[in-house]
Amino acid sequence: MAKAARTSAEQKQEEKNRRWGMVIDLDRCTGCQACVVACHAENNVPVVGEQEAARGHSMHWIRIERYWEGEYPNVKARFMPVLCQHCGEAPCEPVCPVFATYHTPEGLNAQVYNRCIGTRFCGSACPYKVRSFNWFRPDFPEPLDQQLNPDVSVRQRGIIEKCSFCVQRIRRAELDADASGREVEDGEVQPACVQSCPPSALIFGDLNDPESEASQLARSRRAFRLLDFLGTDPAVVYLKGGETNV
Amino acid sequence: MEDTMNLMGLFRDSTETAQVLDSLYELGMLDRQVTVMTGVPYPERSLGRHVEWLQLPNIVLAGALVGFFLGLFLAVITPHLYRLDIGGHPIVGFPPAAVITFVFTMMATIVSTFVGVLWEMNFPEFSPKYYDKRVTDGYLVVLVEHNHSEESLVRKIFEQHGCDSIHIPERQPL
Amino acid sequence: MSDHERMAGGSNLPEGQIELSEEYRERLLLAQRTDAEINAAVLRPMMETGPKFWIIVTTLVAIILWGLYAWGYMIYWGMGTAGINNPVYWGLFIATFIFWVGISHAGTMISAVLRIFKADWRRPITRGAEAMTAFALLMAGLYPFIHLGRVWKFYWMLPYPNNRFMWPNFQSPLMWDMVAIFTYLLGSSLYLYLVLIPDLAMARDHTVGWRYKLYRTLALGWRGTEGEWHKLHRALNIFSVIIIPVFLSVHSIVAWDFAVTIQPRWHSSILAPYFIMGAVYSRLAALATILVIVRKSMRLEEFLRREHFDALGKLVLVAGLGWIYFWFAGFIVEWYGNDPVIRELIHDEVTGKLAPLFWLQMTANILPVIFLAFRKIRTNLKWLLGLTLLINVGMYTERVLIVVGNLQRNYLPFDWGTYKPTWVEISIVAMTFAGFILLYTLFSRIVPYVPVWEIKEGRLRYSLRRIGRLWVPTAAEID
Repeated sequence: MAKAARTSAEQKQEEKNRRWGMVIDLDRCTGCQACVVACHAENNVPVVGEQEAARGHSMHWIRIERYWEGEYPNVKARFMPVLCQHCGEAPCEPVCPVFATYHTPEGLNAQVYNRCIGTRFCGSACPYKVRSFNWFRPDFPEPLDQQLNPDVSVRQRGIIEKCSFCVQRIRRAELDADASGREVEDGEVQPACVQSCPPSALIFGDLNDPESEASQLARSRRAFRLLDFLGTDPAVVYLKGGETNV
Repeated sequence: MEDTMNLMGLFRDSTETAQVLDSLYELGMLDRQVTVMTGVPYPERSLGRHVEWLQLPNIVLAGALVGFFLGLFLAVITPHLYRLDIGGHPIVGFPPAAVITFVFTMMATIVSTFVGVLWEMNFPEFSPKYYDKRVTDGYLVVLVEHNHSEESLVRKIFEQHGCDSIHIPERQPL
Repeated sequence: MSDHERMAGGSNLPEGQIELSEEYRERLLLAQRTDAEINAAVLRPMMETGPKFWIIVTTLVAIILWGLYAWGYMIYWGMGTAGINNPVYWGLFIATFIFWVGISHAGTMISAVLRIFKADWRRPITRGAEAMTAFALLMAGLYPFIHLGRVWKFYWMLPYPNNRFMWPNFQSPLMWDMVAIFTYLLGSSLYLYLVLIPDLAMARDHTVGWRYKLYRTLALGWRGTEGEWHKLHRALNIFSVIIIPVFLSVHSIVAWDFAVTIQPRWHSSILAPYFIMGAVYSRLAALATILVIVRKSMRLEEFLRREHFDALGKLVLVAGLGWIYFWFAGFIVEWYGNDPVIRELIHDEVTGKLAPLFWLQMTANILPVIFLAFRKIRTNLKWLLGLTLLINVGMYTERVLIVVGNLQRNYLPFDWGTYKPTWVEISIVAMTFAGFILLYTLFSRIVPYVPVWEIKEGRLRYSLRRIGRLWVPTAAEID
């Protein structure tokens, strides 16, 4: 059994001292669910169908939470995209008995599909309930199986999965930057949801880089974090909408 | 060296049995020559035998120490062997380490008690031994290994103290 | 005159005291039965099995086979065939798991704790209680496998050097669970077996055929020499002391599965003692249930007497009062704090959709406490059976409410959900209940149910003594 030192990739990550994060502008979000669809497409997330969704088995890595305010005819709908917050002090990480979820040096809450044995403790521990479980064998009826993303594994039944901030895209960008001998630029890495959002309500970037757009927005007056009082230190920052009291 | 033989006497009363044992010791019998078998545990010194020193507590202690260090190793050393950071907690925290160390200590203590007691009793042992099935029916059985010349003396002692039956035992498979 | 004849005061008793002393003698088995008769009485139900026994065994085996089919079905098709979902990731399986772990504390309470306190009334019931522990733990130990999404990879939780270079995460309460339950299972099985050896020797001496071979192997060549008794006693003393912190820690660890998360209403420090108290309550009640049934079906009336049920009933009463206290202590703090999510959870539990279960739980747990305060009811076996069954229904409901009820409501209202168990879960839960009953029934027929040597040892302590005009039983201070 080797006393494994940090791999060189991890050492590089530590040196860079990145913290990947996302800013969600609730003033811009229209609740169109384009991010949900894009995430499904990018990450090979199966669609479970109406009946299973009614039973609570849907597997959206990002979901649009919709709250109604007021009584008819003065009803307002508030939309809030909720995805894995990649908490700095994640309550889901210590409870996995097999280390299937851990924290990478660049601030991602990683889920290792091959290691998960499906105890679902992390799902119960997450206060945002963003973890999806593969309740059945994934079903990709033709021709959806032609559309699967080769960069992301297809999970079998019994595995927990969740938003990874499209880590495959982060790695791709880093590899490209390394090959060209430069650093990853701000805005070069765009997870599927960020890329597909029509009003650009989602911004992704390095929260530790004071020049990046994401970290500048995160310092705005409108910024707040979900369930901050729990002390989970999420990496997702929301910006209050014009009239939002969320 | 004279040939030794065995005599087995069945008694119903603990006081009489104790007196029998006293008389046997006066005759010059050694501890290892006399065996008392009962179906019920009598209090330790009630039959006049000395209490033997047990290795069991030492075995148990050794087992507990092994368990303690095993638990300590698993809880404190193994997280460093393939390091994975967990958000919000250090690699090794006191409460989880305490729980794991405690449980492994207990596990090892239990196993070492069981194995230790079996080892000290030399169990399992299925070879034929001197025994009488009536032990479990409430008799106290005194088994004496003695020289041929002492046979009549031993028989007299047995009869004097109200022995229910005396016979020369045969090794039975247990 | 044999030992116990002398202790019984012989036959020179004055006229008026004969009935009283008869009662005591019957109670303490003084001179009523010789050792041989006790042996025969205990061995008899093991030899005779009527048609009712085989019908019960067949039914149980059928339920178990159906449950195994349901489990295989679930493994093949996925956990979605059960009723668990997002956000209720844990359901009936985990609730039943906690229930079984709770039931498993019976043996330790009776055989270890009462042994240390030298409570003699424990003697006839220790083996039944210890068997309950071992089999309940076996059933409980199934659930960590049953609820795994990828059960075929369970061995990744075992700590051993491997080619993946990975060790399990010992910070996870599930790892503590695994280790603790294994330790407790090991401890209670070994304890059960050790105490059994002298009785196996007794059975060996009185049986023939396959039974003789079985007991001979298991009795390990026990003869009853002084050295053997001495060592056995030492080992049992050590075991009794060790197993008490083990059983306290096991249920605390199971409670910490919930208490270490930040889920509202789970994250409370009182959860561990509350679970332990609930476990004491439900296991003693379950023990009483089982003893009433066994006494009738195995005709052990003279060993399991009214005073045993009286004492057991008192223990159940005390445990029930303790449970009520711990429940209230947790509840008052949550209710008073007015945290919005907790308030919603309490509202949902007390007056919302879960209300029928909640009120069932409270009635089933509190009502028996009131009734058990009366001796007449404690010693009336039909009432005792009904009340203790009710207690276990209530405690099971409580487990379900804790696991399911508190996962249904979360901090973000959009994530609230519902839970309904499916046939898969019900079949598997029924399988473990049937498994427990089957193991217990087979155990009681293969092994002497009443610890004969302990009863005889107890008899050694008692004698009748005259104080003034009364003949009273006295107990000797031997170990």
